[in-house]
Amino acid sequence: MSALLKISDFSLDIDTFDGTLPLLRNVSLEINKGDTLGIVGESGSGKTMLVRTVMGIGPRQSRRTGGGITFDGIDLTGLDDKGWRKIRGVRISMIFQDPMTYLNPLFTVGQQIVDVIRAHHRAVGEKLPGRAACQARAEQLLGQVGINDPARVYAQYPHQLSGGMRQRVLISMALAGKPDVLIADEPTTALDVTVQAQVLALINELVAKLNLTVIMISHDIGAIAAVASRCAVMYRGEIVEQGRTRDILTAPQHEYTKRLLASVPEFGDQAAVAAKPQSAPLLEIRNIGKIYHSAGRDIRAVDDVSFSVAEGEVLGVVGESGSGKSTLARLLLRLIEPTSGSVHLEGKSLQALSPQELRRMRRHMQFVFQNPHSALNGRHNIADAIGEPLRIQEGLSGRALRAEVERLLDVVQLPRNFAYRYPHELSGGQKQRVCIARAVALKPRILVLDEPTSALDVSVQAQILEFLSELRAEMNLTYVFISHDLTVVNHICDRILVMRNGKIVEQGTTQDVFHAPQQPYTQALLASARATSKEAALAEAAAP
Amino acid sequence: MTSPTVPSQPPTFRERHASQIRQWRLHMHTFRSSFSTMLGFTLVVIFLVLAAVGPWIVPYPEDTMGAVHMGSRLLPPSAEHWFGTDEMGADIFSRVVVGARTSLWIGLVITGLAALIGVPLGIIAGYKGGWARAVIMRVTDLFLAVPDLALALAIVAALGPGIFNCMLALALVWWPGYVRLVEAKTLAVKEELFVESARSIGATTPWILRHHILPNCLSPIIVKMSMDMGMAILAAAALGFIGLGARPPAPEWGAMISTARSYMPDWWWYSFFPGAAIFLTVLGFNLLGDGLRDMLDPRSRER
Amino acid sequence: MLSFVARKLIALVATLFGVAVLTFIITNIAPGDPARLIAGPNATPDMVETIRTEYGLDKGLLEQFTIYMSDLAHGDLGRSMVSTRPVLDELLRYAPATIELVLVAMVIGILLGVPLGVLSAVYRNGPIDHVTRIFSMSGVALPAFWLGILLQLWFAVDLGWLPVSGRLPLVATPPPTITGMFLLDSLISGQFDLFWTALKYIILPAFVLSMPCVASILRVNRAEMIEVLQSDHIVAARAHGISALRVVGVYALKNAMLPTLAMIGLRFGWMLGTTVVVETVFDWPGLGLYAVSSALSSDFKPVMGVTLFIGFLFIVTNLLVDLAYAWIDPRLRKA
Repeated sequence: MSALLKISDFSLDIDTFDGTLPLLRNVSLEINKGDTLGIVGESGSGKTMLVRTVMGIGPRQSRRTGGGITFDGIDLTGLDDKGWRKIRGVRISMIFQDPMTYLNPLFTVGQQIVDVIRAHHRAVGEKLPGRAACQARAEQLLGQVGINDPARVYAQYPHQLSGGMRQRVLISMALAGKPDVLIADEPTTALDVTVQAQVLALINELVAKLNLTVIMISHDIGAIAAVASRCAVMYRGEIVEQGRTRDILTAPQHEYTKRLLASVPEFGDQAAVAAKPQSAPLLEIRNIGKIYHSAGRDIRAVDDVSFSVAEGEVLGVVGESGSGKSTLARLLLRLIEPTSGSVHLEGKSLQALSPQELRRMRRHMQFVFQNPHSALNGRHNIADAIGEPLRIQEGLSGRALRAEVERLLDVVQLPRNFAYRYPHELSGGQKQRVCIARAVALKPRILVLDEPTSALDVSVQAQILEFLSELRAEMNLTYVFISHDLTVVNHICDRILVMRNGKIVEQGTTQDVFHAPQQPYTQALLASARATSKEAALAEAAAP
Repeated sequence: MTSPTVPSQPPTFRERHASQIRQWRLHMHTFRSSFSTMLGFTLVVIFLVLAAVGPWIVPYPEDTMGAVHMGSRLLPPSAEHWFGTDEMGADIFSRVVVGARTSLWIGLVITGLAALIGVPLGIIAGYKGGWARAVIMRVTDLFLAVPDLALALAIVAALGPGIFNCMLALALVWWPGYVRLVEAKTLAVKEELFVESARSIGATTPWILRHHILPNCLSPIIVKMSMDMGMAILAAAALGFIGLGARPPAPEWGAMISTARSYMPDWWWYSFFPGAAIFLTVLGFNLLGDGLRDMLDPRSRER
Repeated sequence: MLSFVARKLIALVATLFGVAVLTFIITNIAPGDPARLIAGPNATPDMVETIRTEYGLDKGLLEQFTIYMSDLAHGDLGRSMVSTRPVLDELLRYAPATIELVLVAMVIGILLGVPLGVLSAVYRNGPIDHVTRIFSMSGVALPAFWLGILLQLWFAVDLGWLPVSGRLPLVATPPPTITGMFLLDSLISGQFDLFWTALKYIILPAFVLSMPCVASILRVNRAEMIEVLQSDHIVAARAHGISALRVVGVYALKNAMLPTLAMIGLRFGWMLGTTVVVETVFDWPGLGLYAVSSALSSDFKPVMGVTLFIGFLFIVTNLLVDLAYAWIDPRLRKA
C-alpha cells in the first residue's frame, strides 16, 4: 500500500531582514491510511510550520528549497486555489491550538459550520443542500463531538462558549467534510487539565468511530502518547527520530529525544526536601477577599482566604484558570488592593503602610511573572531591566550599578555581554532568568512566582525549576509558587493549597494532598493530571 | 557566585550598541525601500529648506511684502516670472516660496500647542483613571463632538479674523486628538506586565511614567505629529481661503487662492501654484508620517 | 439591546448639553464687548445699548447661561442680524442642502473606499496597492478649495459637461419640498429630468468633499483587512476549505468593517465641518455657506447656531454608528 500523505526530503526557507533562515530541513514522513502520527517538538522546532505548509497556509515569505509533498498522488506544493478547494476540509482538515482566536467572533457557531458544509458540497460538485438540511447536518456534527444541546450551541456566538466547548466546535467543523486526514495542532495546550483529558478522549473516540488518519502535533509527550501510535521528534527544523511511540518513549535513540524525555517531570516525583520543622510564619494572610464588579455583577475572584507561609518553605497554590490564584498572588504583594482582609509580613500589616513605606517594603517581597515576554519593557536593554530595582531602591548608578548588574547576570547564569541585548533578542528561558535576576536584585525574603514556567518549553522549564531550587538554598528564600501544573508543584513544593472559584478547597503537605486527597475536586484534578502524565504515557505506550 | 565581582573590561561602543545599530539599519531599510516614504521625505526636506532660506533666494523679495507693480499685472508664467504675476503685479513664485515659512510656523505652532496640551492630559487620563479620566475624556469628547473646521470657524468668529487667532483656534480644536491617542496607548501599556513589574519593585508613578509609559507612547505621537503638520497647514489654508485666516498681502497660500478665485478662469496660474504648494507640502508630511508608522510600528511590519 | 439604545440616547442628550455649554463659552471668550460683537461693526452706541438689554448681557454670567439654555430648550437660537429672521428657521432651510451633499459624498466615499481597500489589502505590495497608496495620500492632502476650483475649470469651463456652481439652474423650479433634498424630492414627485439636473449639479461638490473620505476609508479598510487576513480564524476558515472569495469578502470583511465603520462616522463629522469650504467654492446654499457669510459679516448668532446644529448632526451620526457596531459585533450587544 502506498502512503496516503508523503513528505519527501522537504526543505523550506524563510526570508528575513537578517537573511535567509532555514525553517525545515530534509523532512521525510510517510503517513498511511489509518495511521495516528504524533509530532513532538518544542517551540521553534518547525512542527507547526510543517503542517501548515502541508495545508498550503504557511507564511508568505517562505520558500521551498527542495523535496515535495504528495497526498494521494496529488502534488500539494504547486496547487492553486481551485485545487486546494478539493483538498482542504474535504480530504485533509485541521484543528488548532487556541479555540478562541480560531473561531470568527462575529458569526454564530451555526453559520460557521454551515459555511464549511456548503463549501464541501461545492468542492465535490454536489448539489447544495437546503437551509434545514444544513442545520440538521451541523447539529448532528455538534452532537458527534459530545455537545449535549446542539440546537442551542448552533445559535450561539463563540464568546458565549467555554474553552472546551469551542475546541469541540472546531473539531466538528474539521469533521464536517468527512476528511481522510485530521491534523491537530496542539489541540489541548490552551485548555485546563480536566478539559485536556476530555478532548484527548474525544479525539481517540472519533479515530475509532470514523476511521480517521490523524497527525497530532504537541510539545506534550503525554498528549501524543494518548493518541498516536507512531511518533516523530522534531528539533530545529529536522526530524531527528521517528518510529513507534512505544519505542521512542521507552528507548529513545537520538541525543535530543533523550534530553527531552529526561526533562519531563514525573508525576510521582516527590519534593526533594522533606517537610521542615515549622518555623515562625513569615507571611500571614487573614480573611483576604477581592470582588470585581463586571457588567452589574459581583465576581468574587478571591473569597475570604486565610493561610500563612513559614520562613524557608515552598508553598504551592494550585488551581485551574479562573480559580483566583493570580489575583491572590497580586494581593499577597498588595499590587492590587483587597476588598477585605489583610496581609501581614512578619506581623506588620501591608494594608496599614503608607505609599512610601509600601515602596520601601517591596524590596523584601518580589514577584516573578508568568509571561517573561511581556514582563520586560522592550525599549530597555537587559542592564536597564536588571538595574531598575537597584536604581529605585538603592540609588545605585554608574560603575557600581554596572558591577552589580554583572554580578546578577552571573547569579542567573547568563553571559555578561547580555547586558547590552534587548528582550526580543533573548529566548523565553533567558528572559525568565532576567526576570528572576530583577526579582532577586534586592535580596528579598520572599518570592511570589506566578506560573513562572508555563510559557516556557519543557526542557527550559526543567532548567528554570532546578535553578530556582538552587537559588532558594543559596539565598535563603521563601517561595509562593502558583501553578496550574500539578506535576511541577509536586516536584518542588513542601505544602499545597488547592483553589477553586476563589476559595481554598484543600490544603496540606504535598505528601498528604497527593496521596490522600480529601475533596472530590482535588481527586478529579489529580486524576486528570495523572492521565496526561509521563508515567501514563509510558504505560500507554507499553500497552499493545 | 557570591565572590565579589570585578567589573569586566568595558566593551566597545559597537559591542554595547550592536542591538541598536541593527535596529537602526532595519529602520533605514524599511524607510528607504519605500518609494512613497522617500517621496514624502524629499518633499518635506524641500519645504523645510525653502522655509529656511526662502526670503534670500527669491527673485523679487520686495513682492512678498506687498510691493505694487501696476505695469506687470496678471502676467502668465514666463522665464522672468516662473509662476506669473498677480493683480498687484507681484511675482507669484516669490510669494509662494516665502509662503513656505508662514506655513511652517502655522504647522509647528498648531501641532506643538496641541501636543503640549493633549499628551499630558492623555497620560493622566490613561494612567490615573477614576474621576480624572472621566473629566478629561468627557471634555475631550465634547470638543470632538463638533467637527473641527466648524468649531474652528466658531472660535475664529468669536476671536476675530487673523492669522494668530486662526492658529489659536486650530490648536484648541486639535488637542483632543492627542488626548484620545495617548490615553488609548497609555491604557494599553499600563496593562503590560512590565508596568506591574516596575510597581512590584517599588517604582513611583513619575518613574513609571517617564521610563515605561512615555517611551512606549512616543512612536504614535511622532507619527501623528508628522501627519498633523500637514493637516494643520491644510486647515489654516482653508480658513485663509474662507477669509478668516491670514489677510493679503501676507504671503499665505490659502489667502492667495482666496483672492485668486475672482480671477478664474482666465488667470488660472494665480490660484494653481499656491494650491500646488499646499498640496505637495501636505502630501509630503502625510507620506512621511505614513512611512514613519511603517518604520516604528512593528505590527505593520512583517519581520 | 433596548437598554443599550436607552443609555446611548441619554449620552446623546448629555453631549448635546455639553456642546451647548461649549458654544456659550466660545461666545463669552470673545475679547471686548459681546453686545458690540452681536450688533456688528456698524452699530451706533444706542443700538449696542439696546442689544445689551435685549439680550440680557447686562446680567450676571450665570443668569445669562440659564437664559441661554432655557431659550435653547425652547428651540430659540436667537435672530440673525443680517436677515433678522430666527436662526432656527434659517438652519432648517439650509440644512437639507448640506445633508444631501454630505450623504452623496459619503456614498461615494464608501463605494470607492471599501472595495479599493479590500483590493489593496489582498494584492498587498502589488501594483494596485502602490497606486491606491499614492491616490489615498493625495486624497487627504488635496486642499478641497483648490481641487474644487481646478475641477470647475476643467469639467465646467473647458469641457462644459457639468455646471460650475449652485444647486439648480436659476430658471429651474425646485421640486416640491418633502425632505428638502432635491435628489430625493424629485424622485418622489417623479420628475426624473429634474433629478438628472440636480445630480449634475451635486456631482462636483460631492466628489471634492468625498476625496479625503475615500482616502481614509481606503487606508483604514486596507490596514484592518491586512490584520484580519493574518488572524487565526481566517487561517482556520481557509484550512476548512472555504473559498478564498468568501473568506475575504464575508469572513474577513465583516471583521474589518468594525474599525472602518468608526472611520466612516468620523469622516461624516469631518465632512459636515468641511462643507464650510466646499459650499463656499461651489456656492452651495447650505449650512457651511450660511456660517461663512455670517462669520464674515460678524453676524454671531447664526455661526453659533450652525456650530450647535452640526454638532447635533454629528452626535446623531455617532449614535447610528454605535448601533451599527452592536449590530455587527455580538459581543457588544450584551454589555
